[in-house]
Amino acid sequence: MSNRTIPRLLQTPAVLLLLFWMLVPLGMTLFFSFIRYFLNNTRRPEWTSPSIDNWRGFGNYQYVWNQDAFWLAIQNSLLIVCSILFLTVALGIAIAVLINRSFPGRGIVRVLLISPFFVMPAVNAVLWINMLLDPVLGLQGIAVANINDVILGLRDAPLVGGFFSLWPKFEPISFRATQTSAYAVIMMVTWQWTPFAVLIFMTSLQSEDQQQKEAAVLDGAGAWSQFRFLTLPHLGRPIAIVVMIQAIFHLSLYAEIEIVSRGNGNKNLPYYIGELVNNNIGAASATGIFAVILANIVAIFLLRMVGKTLME
Amino acid sequence: MGRIVLENVSKSFGDTQVIPPLSLTIEDGEFAVFVGPSGCGKSTLLRLIAGLEEVSGGSIVIDGTEVADVPPAKRGLAMVFQSYALYPHMTVRKNIAFPLRMAKMTQSDIDARVNQAASVLNLNDYLERKPGQLSGGQRQRVAIGRAIVREPSAFLFDEPLSNLDAALRVGMRMEILELHNKLETTMIYVTHDQVEAMTMANKIVVLRAGVIEQVGSPLELYRSPRNKFVASFIGSPKMNIFEGDEAKKHNAHSIGIRPEHIDVVKSNGEWQGTVGVAEHLGSDTFFHIHNTGLSEILTVRAIGDVNLRNGDTIHLNPRADDFHRFDEKGLRIT
Ligand SMILES: Nc1ncnc2c1ncn2[C@@H]1O[C@H](COP(=O)(O)OP(=O)(O)O)[C@@H](O)[C@H]1O
Ligand SMILES: [Mg+2]
Repeated sequence: MSNRTIPRLLQTPAVLLLLFWMLVPLGMTLFFSFIRYFLNNTRRPEWTSPSIDNWRGFGNYQYVWNQDAFWLAIQNSLLIVCSILFLTVALGIAIAVLINRSFPGRGIVRVLLISPFFVMPAVNAVLWINMLLDPVLGLQGIAVANINDVILGLRDAPLVGGFFSLWPKFEPISFRATQTSAYAVIMMVTWQWTPFAVLIFMTSLQSEDQQQKEAAVLDGAGAWSQFRFLTLPHLGRPIAIVVMIQAIFHLSLYAEIEIVSRGNGNKNLPYYIGELVNNNIGAASATGIFAVILANIVAIFLLRMVGKTLME
Repeated sequence: MGRIVLENVSKSFGDTQVIPPLSLTIEDGEFAVFVGPSGCGKSTLLRLIAGLEEVSGGSIVIDGTEVADVPPAKRGLAMVFQSYALYPHMTVRKNIAFPLRMAKMTQSDIDARVNQAASVLNLNDYLERKPGQLSGGQRQRVAIGRAIVREPSAFLFDEPLSNLDAALRVGMRMEILELHNKLETTMIYVTHDQVEAMTMANKIVVLRAGVIEQVGSPLELYRSPRNKFVASFIGSPKMNIFEGDEAKKHNAHSIGIRPEHIDVVKSNGEWQGTVGVAEHLGSDTFFHIHNTGLSEILTVRAIGDVNLRNGDTIHLNPRADDFHRFDEKGLRIT
C-alpha cells in the first residue's frame, strides 16, 4: 500500500456521508420533479405514490413555468434578496467605518452592534411585526398616532397654526398587506444581518495599510477620495463574501415571510414551494430545481458585479 | 525652489518628548540626509516636515511660507515611504497618475506626465501591471514615479532602500543620485545606514535621541567629528576610541583613530597585539586585534591582502596626524 492509501481510506466514510447527504435529497427532488405525485388525489389515487409509472417528463416544469404565482415569487425573492444585500452592505460599510475610529465606549458599542445577530429569525420577525411595525399596537402605530395628535394640537397654535392645518392626517402602514409585507421582511432581515456585515468589514478595515492612507493624503486625496480609491477597493473581497453568504441565506427565507403575512402577502420562492408541497409534490420539486438554478445565476451574477465595480 | 527652514521645532507624543527644540536649514537643491540609530526620531522629523504630524512647538518654513496651517498636500512636497505605500488595487499607471488625478489635471496632461516619468524610471513595460506583480526595485521606482510627477519643490525619502537586497540597494542609490542631478530639486533622505549617508549626501544631519549632533558635508564629519558619538557613527569599520595612558600622552580624556589610519609594519611598531579575527576581502584586510593594552579590541584596516592569521603577533604604527582628541564630555578638542 502506498502511504497515501490509508489517509484516503480514513477519509472515505466522511466523504461518502457528505455525498449521501447532498446527493440523495437532490436526486429525490429531481426524480419527483419528473413524475406526477400528489399527497391527496381522490380522482387519480395511483398518483399518490411516487412511482416511475407516473412519469410526466417536463410536464411539472411546464406547469410551474406557466403559473403567474411562480413568476411573482421569483420577482419577490429577487426584490427581497437584492434589497437586503444592498442595505446590509451599505449600512455595514458606513457603520464599520464609523466605529473603526477610537472613541470612549467603543468596546460596548461593538458588542451592542453585534447583538441583533444572536436573535433567532422567528423571534426577530415576531418582535418586528408585532411590537415595532403593528399599525395599532406597535411602535409605528403609537408613533403615528402621537404625531397626528401633535399636529392636531399645533393647528390651534398662533402663527404656525395655518401652516399645520394644511398637513394631512398620517395613516399607519399595515405591513401585513400584500404589497407591503416584503418591505417588513426586508427591514427585519436587514436589521438582523447588518451586524454580520459590520463584523466582517470591521476586521478588514483593521488590516488596512496606514502608510497608503498617508501617501494618499500627501497626494491630495480628501476623505472621500481615500474612501473611494483605497478603503472601498480594500473591502472588495469582504463585500463579495458578505454578498455571497447572504444571498445563499436569504434566497431561502421562510420564517419571516410566514410570520409577517401567513401567506397573504408577497411570497418568495421557498414560500411558494412550501405551499405546493401541501399537495403537489411534483410541481414543488420542479420549482425547487428552478430555485437551485436561480440561486446559481444570482451567485454568479453578484460575484461578477462586485468584482468588476470594486477592483477597477 | 525648495528651501526648508526648521526653527525650534519640537515634537512630543503625550508626555514623551521625541524631538527637543531643534533648528536646521536645508538649502534649495541640497541632498540632505538625516542619519542616526533606529528610534532617534528621523522619521518623526520627516513627517513633521511633510505635515503628517503636527509640530508641538516651533515653526517650519518652506520657501518663505510658514506651513503650520498648510495641509500636507499643499506643501509642495512628495514623500517616498519605506513600505512604498503603493495603492494595491491600481495599475502602475494609475498609481503614478493618482496625485495628478487628485489635482484635477486634464487626462492628456496626466498621460504626458506619467509617460515621461515612466521613461525616466524605465517603467514603460510595467504600466499596466498591479504593484503585486512587481519586484521590490520596480515598486520602489513606481513610488518614486508617483513622487516626481507632482513636480514637488522637495522630495522626502524615508529609508526607501531598506527593503531591497544589497546589490539592488547600490543600484537604486545611484539612480536616486542621478535623479537628483537631473532634477536639481531639494531632497531629504532618511536612513540609519551611515554608508548611504556618506555616499549620497551634500549635507549630513546626524541625530541622536532627537538632538542634532552635527551637521556637515560627509568629509567634514569624517575628518572632524564634533563628538565621540559622531566619530564612532560615521565611518566603517568604526573608529577605535580609548582612554588611559595613551590618551593622556595626547593631553586628552580619550582619543580616537580610524582603522584606516593605522599602518601595519613588520617589526618595531609603536603598538603591538595579537590578531583575533582577520577579514580578508582581497582589496583590504580588517584585523580585530587583542592584547594591545589600549582597548578591548582594536580594528585595523590594511590595504591589500596581508598575510597574518589568527594568533599571529602584529606590529602597528598609528599616523600621528590622524588622532581625534575628546574631553571628558566626549566633545572634540581642537
Ligand atoms: N505615533 C507615535 N506615538 C508615540 N510615540 C511615537 C510615535 N511615533 C514615533 N514614536 C516614538 O518616537 C521615537 C522616534 O521614532 P521614529 O521617528 O520612528 O524613529 P526613527 O525613524 O529614527 O527610527 C521612537 O521612540 C518612537 O517610539
Ligand atoms: Mg523610521
